[in-house]
Amino acid sequence: MVTRRKALTLSAAALGGSALAGGGAVVIANRDKPEPPAPASVNADGRMLWRNWSGIQNAYPAARLAPADEATLADGLKRASAPIRAVGAGHSFTALAATNATLVSLDGLSGLVRWEGDEAVVRAGTRLGALGPLLAQRGRAMANLPDINKQSLAGAISTGTHGAGQGLQALHGDVTALTLITAEGERIECDAVRRPDLFQAARVSLGSLGILTEARLRTTANRHVRRRVWVESLEESLAQAEDRWKAHRNFEFYVVPFTDLAANISHDETDDPVQAPPAGNDDALLEALKGLRNSLGWSTGLRKAVARTLLGSVPPETAVDEGWKLLSTERPVRFNEMEYHLPPETHLGALREVLAVIETHRRDVFFPIEVRRTAGDDAWLSPFQGGARGSIAVHAWYKDEYQFFFELIEPIFQRHGGRPHWGKLHSLNGQRLQALYPNWKDFLAIRRELDPKGRLLSPYMTGLFDLA
Amino acid sequence: MTRSRLTLITAGICLFVGLGLSGCSPAAPPITPAESARLTPADDRLASLYETSCKTCHAIAGSGAPLAGDGAAWKPRLAQGMPTLVDHTVQGFKAMPAGGQCARCSPDDYRALISFMSGTEKR
Repeated sequence: MVTRRKALTLSAAALGGSALAGGGAVVIANRDKPEPPAPASVNADGRMLWRNWSGIQNAYPAARLAPADEATLADGLKRASAPIRAVGAGHSFTALAATNATLVSLDGLSGLVRWEGDEAVVRAGTRLGALGPLLAQRGRAMANLPDINKQSLAGAISTGTHGAGQGLQALHGDVTALTLITAEGERIECDAVRRPDLFQAARVSLGSLGILTEARLRTTANRHVRRRVWVESLEESLAQAEDRWKAHRNFEFYVVPFTDLAANISHDETDDPVQAPPAGNDDALLEALKGLRNSLGWSTGLRKAVARTLLGSVPPETAVDEGWKLLSTERPVRFNEMEYHLPPETHLGALREVLAVIETHRRDVFFPIEVRRTAGDDAWLSPFQGGARGSIAVHAWYKDEYQFFFELIEPIFQRHGGRPHWGKLHSLNGQRLQALYPNWKDFLAIRRELDPKGRLLSPYMTGLFDLA
Repeated sequence: MTRSRLTLITAGICLFVGLGLSGCSPAAPPITPAESARLTPADDRLASLYETSCKTCHAIAGSGAPLAGDGAAWKPRLAQGMPTLVDHTVQGFKAMPAGGQCARCSPDDYRALISFMSGTEKR
């Protein structure tokens, strides 16, 4: 029996086949592909593979530490072989966590430590998905969350991970104190009063100062939010975006390439009762978009016409629930991603350029482009340091080629003054990053002070900081 | 993009290809996510690994992962043999992220976790 999903794909393929027969066009090389080749599960030295979520970064750590308390971690770090790297969920697309020496899993350092008023002291390995229910037990919540919740708290704040909302800061903006263990095993606490420079450096520090063990988090009341999703013309979304970022607690939109349409998502606080979202299947959606690509990718005009006809009149969708239940959701399809954060004044102009490049040169792209706005903060290596930024995220299915991120998309981001998301693909390092971050040298000075032997520097980190 | 955020678009495409709105819905599993979420390994360490990593997908409807306790969903996977399943777990395979996003798990842990989720662990 043919499965429903298979039928969906086959139907889309059949449509494309018919059109092809009639038009005599050439199908672009975008058919479904086999699984990418996987590295061996165990290498010749008997070491087990570590690989990131999307599958493009891998390593064979000689040792794995999984401490359940700070003392064990400190003791282990003193004796660990370098380079030492910490890992949470391994969701970064860059090689931040990769090491062939010592990989430190933060999973054993998980859970709530205590409350200090309305601020929660949380172990840094706590996954964001587990943080929501922990805080909700006291009627509190994180003010904002990224749109997936598999990451560890340490990984999320260390890479400047953010949600959507012009008036809301990235996750590290709600960190009011941090505890870390240096590579030499020293325990250090910092906040705005105790070692304030270290605090400014440590809030977004890429695992390069020490291993984060605890974070104190500012929380907010655990309110219900109403999520609205609606599809409209891309031009309408672009025209209204600035007003919507001002009007909504959270607002973002997804540009669906080759449709001239955008899906808009807003979240606003409400006292209304829970309203469950309609049942759906993200996997099936992306399969369907891929099916349209495979079938009609040979004709951008026809692909757009069919997509607009099908998607343009879809009614809005509404859901109500506690914020932590709606702001983050499941991503069942793996992908690779580049995201840059741009000054607001260049944000939407850059988006138009990105879309034009994709629709001109990359007809194999079918993933929507995510467009968000985030409030500014003052962490030294925060991409949002100094003021609000507008984010543009381009995705490629994990089986698809993604070099076009670097060749076609990144130059647009750079020309418009963008800063890269630290956990997502980019090619910047050294002086190019220094030009974007006024406290770059200050950060490196503190890094040298805390890790004078460079034991936290993997080849990737050495290259990123240009310390070779 | 997220499941519910894209439901509208999915619905449109489902209508387009003639399946109707029900045609894109996943088949109902023989165990509900709520029932699956109540399952936990008896061993404390294994339970900790499961709660932190596997359960974040294998007890969630729409994640693409077979639910823990859904014997029918696990049957064709088990037919591939435990070594293949462990390889797929370590390397990542289709929607399955490499290592199940568990950097502290060993191959023995993976075998035990797969046995637990598929309901084939020795009792």
